[in-house]
Amino acid sequence: MSATWLARKLTVVAGLAWLVATIVFLALHMVPGDPAELLLSTGGVSPDPASVAELREKLGLERPLLVQYAAFISGLLRGDLGTSLIDDYPVISEIALRLPRTLELIAAGSVIAILVGVPAGVFAALDRGGAFDRAASGVTALLLAVPVFVLGTLLVLLFAQTLRIMPAGGFVPFAQDPVQHLKLLILPAIAIAKGLAAVLFRMTRAAMLDALANDYVRTARAKGLSPTRVIVVHVLRNALNPVVTVLGLQMGTLLGGTVLVEYVFNWPGMSTPLLRAVEGRDYPMVVGIVLTISVLFLLLNLVVELVHALLDPRVAHS
Amino acid sequence: MTISRRTMLAAGLAAPFASLPLLSRPASARRAAGILRYGLSAFPPNLQPWVSTGASAGTVKMLIHRSLVSYSPNGELRGELATSWSLDGDGAWVFKLRPGCVFHNGDPVTAEDVKWSIEQIAGEKSTAYMRSQFQSVERIEIPDPGTIRLVTKTPQATLPSWFGNYNTFILSRKSTPTEFIGAGPFRLVGQERGSSVEITAFDKFYKPGIPKLKGIKFVVYADENLRFAALQSGDVDMIEYVPWQSMAAVEADPRLKLDTQQGPFMDVLFNGSKPPFNDPRVRRAVAHAVRREDIVKVAFFGRGKPLEGLPIAEGTPWWDKDLAHGWNYDPARAKALLTEAGFGNGFQTTLLATAQFGMHKDTAEIVQQHLAAVGIQCELQLPDWSTRVARGSKGQYDMAIHGVSSDNNDPDGLTVVLDTSLSPSHGRSFRVDAPRTIAALAKGRAEFDQAKRVEIYKEMQRAALEEVPLVGLAWRSQGYGMDKSVVGFTNLPGALSNSSGNMLEETYFG
Repeated sequence: MSATWLARKLTVVAGLAWLVATIVFLALHMVPGDPAELLLSTGGVSPDPASVAELREKLGLERPLLVQYAAFISGLLRGDLGTSLIDDYPVISEIALRLPRTLELIAAGSVIAILVGVPAGVFAALDRGGAFDRAASGVTALLLAVPVFVLGTLLVLLFAQTLRIMPAGGFVPFAQDPVQHLKLLILPAIAIAKGLAAVLFRMTRAAMLDALANDYVRTARAKGLSPTRVIVVHVLRNALNPVVTVLGLQMGTLLGGTVLVEYVFNWPGMSTPLLRAVEGRDYPMVVGIVLTISVLFLLLNLVVELVHALLDPRVAHS
Repeated sequence: MTISRRTMLAAGLAAPFASLPLLSRPASARRAAGILRYGLSAFPPNLQPWVSTGASAGTVKMLIHRSLVSYSPNGELRGELATSWSLDGDGAWVFKLRPGCVFHNGDPVTAEDVKWSIEQIAGEKSTAYMRSQFQSVERIEIPDPGTIRLVTKTPQATLPSWFGNYNTFILSRKSTPTEFIGAGPFRLVGQERGSSVEITAFDKFYKPGIPKLKGIKFVVYADENLRFAALQSGDVDMIEYVPWQSMAAVEADPRLKLDTQQGPFMDVLFNGSKPPFNDPRVRRAVAHAVRREDIVKVAFFGRGKPLEGLPIAEGTPWWDKDLAHGWNYDPARAKALLTEAGFGNGFQTTLLATAQFGMHKDTAEIVQQHLAAVGIQCELQLPDWSTRVARGSKGQYDMAIHGVSSDNNDPDGLTVVLDTSLSPSHGRSFRVDAPRTIAALAKGRAEFDQAKRVEIYKEMQRAALEEVPLVGLAWRSQGYGMDKSVVGFTNLPGALSNSSGNMLEETYFG
């Protein structure tokens, strides 16, 4: 892998990010709905047009779209994502506050998914056609079919409303109350983990079965190695490569999945400000959040490619 | 490498059990400390005291700020920063200030602060909700430091109630555009954008023993089902806007109680700038075509009441049995009116609502069905709320469904929805001609004699039944759900239900 390869990839990421920002910016301004009017009409009836015009001017919405776009891009180049139209707050601060929580949720969900999906896949492959294999395959088929918000709602219904052993949702900073923080994290993390765990299970199971069929496994067994050593050193090690790739790619889609989970569990990550901003036509906030998620997604893919290239040098040269 | 993987696998098997000790811990610590956890339906877009940012913001604002008056549990105006108010011989309103009121910075509340606040609201560059009302104040006089005299350009019978609105607060003159200094029973101590707001009791509040709570933590649950789940699971002690489908469950839960009031209502708005809805007979046909019971049953789970006239609450002096059913369900009459207007074979049109709020969408679907039965075929348009607002105020619709509450329980509070001569808004019909209704509203506002006002507003109702600036559909219940240990809270009657947040100053754990 060369520096030029990396530079080329980073240029593509930057170009795509710019494209995303431009598309979101333009699409938003084309959708009907006026932030100034919305801000002043939450009482059910709007105030007089003079107040709306006043606010539009203050928010800079009276300027031609091209001027607004130029200001937005030049701000972006300076690392400034602008200020929320709804509450006059820097978009970057909002993202700095919210993004770690979304990432925490994704991390927790991924950990649960790995800890459940991978071992279950290994055991299912070893138990091919057995009771565990069939049961686990059935459960994953079900998990893949159930939408994440349905599972989330069911978890709330069961653990919070019926059993009353878990909070229905919300957030407490870890520093303030670690126990409560973790309690609040568990259910949404399980909901996030659901799809990924199912995918990892299937991937691990298939990869394990593939690897088990190889000649070197037969050779290893013939040499008299212990079954555990054969599985762990020879089979699992080879089977994990595609699993890691899938994991990387799936984590990108988790970014999108968290929006629903955060909403269902009232987890104050990126989804709340995003939904609020879309509803209120808070242009800078929407663009800022979508851009952040897109860049993360692109970078994640880049990392996957990078890891791939490190594992298999042919990728970097092709 | 091998070892770490093995460790990882082992940890994976242990993980589901590792979390067990975290389960179950009673959530009564805050309650013991006198802190109420309140499930808010929307995060206040901002807490600017004079800008309307919805009822949820109003609840928080009412507790950190104070005005000259507020509403008592039975819905009547009561003194706050003012002890009394009256009309003087020249038709000006005179307010006597309560001695001993202080702002959160320790400064006393003076007549100068009141004058300054009113001037800010009425200012040329103001975006205050009550701006146009206060612009009709010609002069503010301070005869003595404890008295404020408001001279209006035209007689204003309902002026004191302007100060009962949760967008009219008296602030210290030392307030800045970013720091508002109020005189309410609580102080704002922290907020997390989009998630929560925390307030704590103000120890120098002018009512002895108030507030009864040490603090309130408002947690935002935008999703109504989650808000209810949070109440049921004990995450919060109290919620606003109990979803209609969950009201029965709150009543059935032995730990919880429900407090409902019929205040807000649903209505149909028209675009009167073009045919067919520029013809009052067509609008009246719509009014007679809809069976309201279906809306109450389907959209509000029976938690409401049909509204076959103007939204004037039963039991008030303004209510009249016949007028209240002036738009009774009568499809034959609807068809006759359509024929009379030249639409005997019906017509195609559109009905604008929003899919963002279930009650708007459900109401629209039922209206669509009933209109189809008399020959009016509507195409439903259900964009998101922002688009609905934009199209409403630009008149880009034929008919629209809306849900709103009057400003207060006086018929003058209906001006915002009935006076179609005001600037276009998504909450009012667009360019519908209703000159007699509007004239009667103005007459009622300028009349101080109660008996005469009753007559004027009956005249206004008769005019509106013919001119049809809107069509009433249903009263809907507005409910607060709370733990049985929460006492002292009152859901204010009728249109004032949204102002009930004020009652949290008298709320405590019993």
